[in-house]
Amino acid sequence: MIWSPAKLSPDVRLLLDRERPIAVLPAAARARALSRARSALAAGVATWSQPSGAPSAVRWAAAAGLACVATVAAGAVAYRLGVRAGPTAPLVAASPATESPAPHWSAGAEPIVNLLAARVLAATPARSGAGAVRVELRLLEQARAAVAREDFLQALQLLTEHARRFRTGRLVEEREALRVKSLASLGRRTEARRAAVDFEAKFPRSPLLPAVSQILDSAP
Amino acid sequence: MSHLRLVPRAAPQVTLDDACLGAFQQELAYVYRSFRRLGTSPSEVEDLAQDLFLALRRSWSEYDPNRPLRPYLFGFAFRIAAADQRKRKREVAFGIVEVDDNGPGPEEELQSKQARAVVLTALSRIPLPRRAVLVMHELDDVPVAEVASVLSIPLFTVYSRLRKARRELQAGIRRLLREAGGE
Repeated sequence: MIWSPAKLSPDVRLLLDRERPIAVLPAAARARALSRARSALAAGVATWSQPSGAPSAVRWAAAAGLACVATVAAGAVAYRLGVRAGPTAPLVAASPATESPAPHWSAGAEPIVNLLAARVLAATPARSGAGAVRVELRLLEQARAAVAREDFLQALQLLTEHARRFRTGRLVEEREALRVKSLASLGRRTEARRAAVDFEAKFPRSPLLPAVSQILDSAP
Repeated sequence: MSHLRLVPRAAPQVTLDDACLGAFQQELAYVYRSFRRLGTSPSEVEDLAQDLFLALRRSWSEYDPNRPLRPYLFGFAFRIAAADQRKRKREVAFGIVEVDDNGPGPEEELQSKQARAVVLTALSRIPLPRRAVLVMHELDDVPVAEVASVLSIPLFTVYSRLRKARRELQAGIRRLLREAGGE
């Protein structure tokens, strides 16, 4: 027979009672988490064979949809401004009808470009016109879609174009991660390595860093 | 080798995606809090929660919906937090835990936040394998048999870890309160 473990004292139990309830997550954090999860599904992570509990290896899943992370507030702004771009919308996984606490999602999945737009809008000063915002957005989204369909040459062209026109945009981090991915996938290891070193120097705290490092290991 | 591949989905897979996302969505706050209780810093919780989602999705076809969801999720959180801790090769144990959450109501907020901070700090000083057992049983009210099953350890081990962890928690909280009172 197993002995009964020592009991906790009443005052410690009282403290635990304070910790027991699960507080509601802030809406922005919630929207960001769900957006990343949907992006990962859209990129097909379910088909990977990857043992669970290997965090660094699976980060790239988030990176796959990397440009479409946005806060719920910014998403609302983008939606109000009506930024639209049709062709890439099917990349977004359908929003399940079960969602209740995040009303911005309940009307169904916004086109992925809206989410991208949200991030650009949140980061771009007012002096940038709506036209410029749309162009930066579209360029990066096209590059991401090219990577997703493994057309890495096309992706590199688009990334170079993005770098030329939006050198200091807020999507630089995503752009450079996609560049490492594209170069490595094309077997251009030296360039990929250089791009990865630059990435690390520029974004030492990036959540994409583990994924970027791993790209080099798994490249052909 | 490419990690980015848009694979055409068969209908059942879409259903699995939706079901898994629905479960993640439903228990998102629980997942975040569990990582905090396991010692993950606030800035890392979001990334680890994404790792959990991906691991969850890959295993979702094996999930038995008749079993409670939270312990199942906690099992993932524990393994991911443990792997992350090993990777970082640093124990979060002896730091002061930041208070990052919203209290339940304005009038109780301060007191509740302090209590939560004390509990999290005391928890963080208990080694992770014992901490996981303690959190599951004492905070999530998971029966010991279920704890053993989720963490894949013998029942006897659950009891011995629980007993030791309770002592450690008790001593840790007393020490924290004494330190706070002595200043």
